[in-house]
Amino acid sequence: MRSYAAQRAGLAIVQLAVLSVLVFVLTSLLPGDAADLRFTETLTPSQVAALRAELGLDQPPVERFVHWLGNVLTGDLGTSLISGGPVVDIVRHSIGATLVLTLATLAIVVPLAVALGIVMGTRENGRVDRAITSITLALSAIPDFVIAVVLVAVFSLKLGWLPATWIGGNLLSSPALLILPIAVLFGRTVCLLSRQVRAGTVAALNAEYVTQARRLGIPRRQLLLRHVLPNAAVPGVQELARTGDTLLGGVLVVEAIFAIPGFATALVDGVETRDIPTVQGLTLVLAVAALLINLGADLVCNRLVPRTALLR
Amino acid sequence: MSPRERVASGRRLRMPRGVSVGVSVGLVAVPLVVAVLGPLLPYDARPGLPYSPEGVLGTDGLGRDVLGLLLVGGRSALGMAIGAVVLAYLIGGLIGLTAASTRHRWLDEGMMRPLDVLLPLPSLLVISVVAVGWRASAIAITVAVAMVNVPTVARLVRAAALDAASGPVVEALRMQRESWFTIQLGYVGRSVLGPVAADLGTRITLAVFLVASVNFLGLGLSPTAPDWAVSVSRNREGLLLQPWSVLAPALLLVSFTLGFNLLADRLVHRSRRLVESAR
Amino acid sequence: MTPVVRVTGLSATAGEAVLVDGVSFEVVAGEVTALVGASGSGKTTSALALLGEHADGVQLGGYVEVDGQLVVASNGVTAAAQSIRGRVVAYMPQHPGSALNPARRIGTTLQELAKLHDGDAREAVRAAQVPGDRSTLKRFPYQFSGGQRQRVALAQTLTCRPKVLVLDEPSTGLDSITRLQLVHELRDLAATGLGILLLSHDLDLVRALASRVVVLDAGQVIATDVLPPAPDLKVTGTSAAGQPLLTAMNLSASLRPRGRDVVLHEADLAVRAGACLGVVGRSGSGKTTLARCLAGLHERYTGTILLDDEPLPVLRKRTRDQHRRVQYVWQEVRGSFDERRPVDQQVARTAQRLRGLAPDKAHAEAVATLARLGVAAITAARPPSRLSGGELQRAALARAVLANPDVLICDEITTALDDHGTALVLDLLTELKDRGTALIWIGHDLRLVAAVADRVLVLDAGRVVEQGPPATITTEPHHELTRRLVAATRIGNPQSPPAETPPVLTTDSRSEPRR
Repeated sequence: MRSYAAQRAGLAIVQLAVLSVLVFVLTSLLPGDAADLRFTETLTPSQVAALRAELGLDQPPVERFVHWLGNVLTGDLGTSLISGGPVVDIVRHSIGATLVLTLATLAIVVPLAVALGIVMGTRENGRVDRAITSITLALSAIPDFVIAVVLVAVFSLKLGWLPATWIGGNLLSSPALLILPIAVLFGRTVCLLSRQVRAGTVAALNAEYVTQARRLGIPRRQLLLRHVLPNAAVPGVQELARTGDTLLGGVLVVEAIFAIPGFATALVDGVETRDIPTVQGLTLVLAVAALLINLGADLVCNRLVPRTALLR
Repeated sequence: MSPRERVASGRRLRMPRGVSVGVSVGLVAVPLVVAVLGPLLPYDARPGLPYSPEGVLGTDGLGRDVLGLLLVGGRSALGMAIGAVVLAYLIGGLIGLTAASTRHRWLDEGMMRPLDVLLPLPSLLVISVVAVGWRASAIAITVAVAMVNVPTVARLVRAAALDAASGPVVEALRMQRESWFTIQLGYVGRSVLGPVAADLGTRITLAVFLVASVNFLGLGLSPTAPDWAVSVSRNREGLLLQPWSVLAPALLLVSFTLGFNLLADRLVHRSRRLVESAR
Repeated sequence: MTPVVRVTGLSATAGEAVLVDGVSFEVVAGEVTALVGASGSGKTTSALALLGEHADGVQLGGYVEVDGQLVVASNGVTAAAQSIRGRVVAYMPQHPGSALNPARRIGTTLQELAKLHDGDAREAVRAAQVPGDRSTLKRFPYQFSGGQRQRVALAQTLTCRPKVLVLDEPSTGLDSITRLQLVHELRDLAATGLGILLLSHDLDLVRALASRVVVLDAGQVIATDVLPPAPDLKVTGTSAAGQPLLTAMNLSASLRPRGRDVVLHEADLAVRAGACLGVVGRSGSGKTTLARCLAGLHERYTGTILLDDEPLPVLRKRTRDQHRRVQYVWQEVRGSFDERRPVDQQVARTAQRLRGLAPDKAHAEAVATLARLGVAAITAARPPSRLSGGELQRAALARAVLANPDVLICDEITTALDDHGTALVLDLLTELKDRGTALIWIGHDLRLVAAVADRVLVLDAGRVVEQGPPATITTEPHHELTRRLVAATRIGNPQSPPAETPPVLTTDSRSEPRR
C-alpha cells in the first residue's frame, strides 16, 4: 500500500512539472500582449518597445520561463500587467467566493448523491430506480447556463424572491445569494455522481463476495454498510475527481451569470485583457488544485479497495 | 403468457428501459436536421424591433428573426461539438489502438504516459485560453475541445483494445492464419466498438456543453453570431419579454444532448449485458 | 444416525420449466454425501435450497429440513431460512477465491462472522491451515495467492461453525497432487463431525470421499449410491518407429524480456509421427509455456525447435504449411472463441484459411467433426456463450483438427468433459494417431496421460525431471514428484493412505433409473 501511495505521489510530481511548463506555454501562446493591447493608441512604437522591456516581454521564452518558475517556487506569482499589484493578491481576493461556492455545492451534492445512488442500486431496475434514473438522465442533459438563465428569469425577475446578481458583501453572511448559483451547479453534479454510485452498488451487490457473505448469514443492513458500501464508493470517488472538472466549468458559468467576483471572473478578465502573469498564476493554481483532487481521489480509492500496483 | 412465466423472464422483459429508442433518435434528429438543412431553407428573415412577437417565433434583442437565427445557428453549435468528438476519436483512437497493438513496450509507454499527465488539466480553462487566443475561430475551438478529450479517448480505446487483443481469441485467430486485417478490424475493432459507442453519446454531450459554455461566456464566437448558445446568452434578459428567443435555441440544444444521453445509457446497458451473458 | 439435512421431493420450477423434480437425499453428520451430475443437472439448485436460496422467478417446493427446522415447505421458503445460513449450513462456491471481499481485511470478516455465529475465528483459521498471526489477518485478499485465498474462504465458512458444509465442485482447476491433498483434508473435516454435501462431476473425487451418492440428470435422481464405472482409458495405437517429426532442444523460456522470470529450463523433447508424447506436472510447472513455445505463440525462448529437421520459427514467421502442420488446443477454451460468431463458423475457418477449402465444404467438414465429438449441429450453430464448457472444449479440438495437422498439441483438453465426452475425444485422437499425426498431450493427471501416451515426460518447476515409457514411469518412479503424481492417481483407490472408510459404491444398481 505504501508503495502504491509513493508511486502515485511520484506521478503527481511529474504531472506538476509538466503542467507548469504547459501552463506557461499555453498562456504565452496568446497572440498579442498587454503592451499591445493597452497602449497602441497613445504610444509610439518605440515607447511600446520600452514598455515591453520593462515588463520583461522582450526576453526569449525559455529565459522567461526559468525566471517565472523560479519566482513561482518562492511563492511569487508575478505582477499583474493591468492592476500593477501582485498576482498573489488577485488569487487571494478571488479564491474565497469560488471556494465557498464549490464547497457548499459539494456539501449538499455528495451525501445526496451517495444516498440516491444506493437507493437506486439496491432497487436495480425497480420502479424507484427507473424514476430516479430518468430524472437524473434528463437533468444531466441540460447545460448549466440554460438552467441558470431560466432560474434567474423565474425566481429573480418574475417572482423577485431571490437576488439575481451579486450586490457586494460576504457570500456567507447572505446565504440567499448562494441559493440560485448552487441550484445551478447542483443538478448536473448530483446526477453524474449518483449514477456512478448506483453502478458501483449494483456491481458490488452482484459480486460473488457479497453473495457469499449473504450465504454466511450476514444480515442485510450489515451487508450493505460493511460489505457493499466500500466497493460501491470507488466509482463514486473517481467520478468526484472528474466532477471537479465539470464543476469548475459550471462555476465559471455561474460566476459570470451572477457576477460573482470569484476565480473564474478574474480568469476571464485576465484572458480578455491579455494579463498574462495573472492568467498564468490563476491557471497554475487551478491546475494544481485539480491535480491534488485527482491524487486524493486515487489514494482514497486505494484505501477503500487496495490494489497491487499503480503501473499496469 | 402465464403470470409465473412472466416472473421467470421478468429480467429480460423489463430491460427496455424508460424511453424507447424511437424517442431518443427523434430527440437527436430534430436539432440535427435543423442544423444541417436549416441554412439551405429559403427562409426570408426580416429584421424587426427588439423582442417583438412578429414572425413565427418573434425577434431577439437585436430585432433579428428568431426562427431565421435558429435555422443558421445549429451548424456552429452542433458542428463544432461533433467535429471535436470525431477529431478526438481520430487522434485518441489511433493512439489507443497503436499503443494496444504494438509489441514494443516503449512505444506504448511513450504514447500513453504523456496523456496521463495531461488528464488533470481543467478542460474549460484550456479551451477558454485557446478560444480567446484565436478569437471567434470555430476551428481553434473545435481543435481545443478535441484536444482535451484525446487523453480519455486514447485510454478508453487502449483499454478496450488491449482487453480484446491480449486474449486467447486473437491467438486462436492467428493459429488459423487469419490476416492482420481480419483480426484487427473483424475482432479487435468490433470489440472496441461497444465501449466506444457507449462513450460516444456522453462525449458528444460533453463537447456540446464545452463549446456552448465557451460561447456563452463570450470567449468564443462573436456575440452577434447566430449560434444557439450565443443566442441564449445574448437574449437572457429578454426571457420574460420574448421567451422563444431564449427557449427555442435552448430546447434544441437540450433535445440533442438528452437524446444522446438516452442512447448512450441504453448502449452501456447493452454492452454490460453482452459481457454478462458471455460469462 | 439421524441426518442433519433431510430433503424430500424437492422441486424447483421457473414458470413452465422444471429445473429440479422430486429430488430426495440426506446428509449425515461426519459423512460425505455427493450430488453427481453434469452441469445443468440441478446440483447447485438443489444444494442452494438448503439455504432457502433460489434464483429470481424460481419457485421451490417439497420439503427441506435442516437441523430440525423446515427451510422449504410446500409453499416455498420459510422464515427459518435466514437463521440457518452460515450458522447451520455453510456454502463454499466453485471459485472460493472470488468470494472474498477485496475491500476488507480477512481478519475483519472472520471476526464479524465469529461474533455473528458465536464461532471461533482462531480455531477456524487453524483448521483451514491459514497462518493465524496478526499480520496475516491484517492482509487484504489480493495479498494472498490463489490457493491461499481458497483456504481463507474455507476459514470464513468454518468460523460460522456450521453443521453442514456444502462444497461446489471443489476440485475445479486443482492439479492431481493438490486434489489428493483436498481428499485428505475433507476426510479430516468430516471426521470432526461435520456433514459434507459434495457437488461434483469429478467421479474420482466422489469415489474417494462419498459414503452416499445421488446421481442427478436433468433435475431428476437417476441413481443413488451407484456410480458409472470408471471408463477404460486404454488407447490402442501402434507407436511408429522412425525419424522424430518434431524436436526441441535446449528449450528455455521466460515470461519477461531479456530472460527474466525463466519458467522453462533447457528442455529437450522429440515426438515421432503417429506417436503420443505425454507431458505431466503440477500447475505452474511450465507445461503450458512449453506447449506455447512449440505452437509458436510464446516468443521469449532460446533453443531450437525443428519440424522435419527444419527450424520451426515463431508463429508470425511460419509459412502456411508450417502453420497448418502444427496446431494447438487451448486449455482456457471459453476465452479462445469470439463471442459474436457462431461456433461452427469459427471452427470451419481453419479449413478455409489453412487448407484453402471453399466455405461450404469447410463448414460441412466442421459440422461432421463436431458431430463426431458429440456436439450437435444445432448446438454448434450458436454463439459460444450458449455452449457448455465441455462442448466448447470439443469445439476447440475440432477447430485444430480441421487443419489436418501433423503435430497436435493438446493442453488439458478433457478437464470439462465427462467420461462419455472423454471417450469420444480419445477415439478421434486415436484415429488421428493411426493416420500419422504426432500428439503432444499435456495434463496433470498421470493416470490419463499414461493411458494415452507412448512416452511420458515429467516437468517440475520448469525442468524435465524424468522421462520414459508410461509403464516404467508409473511402476518405477525415480523422482519425488513422479512418486507423488503416481500416488495421486490412486485417489479413488481404497488402499490409498490414509483412507479410513472404503467407499461403499458398487456397480450393481440399488435403485432403478426413473426414466
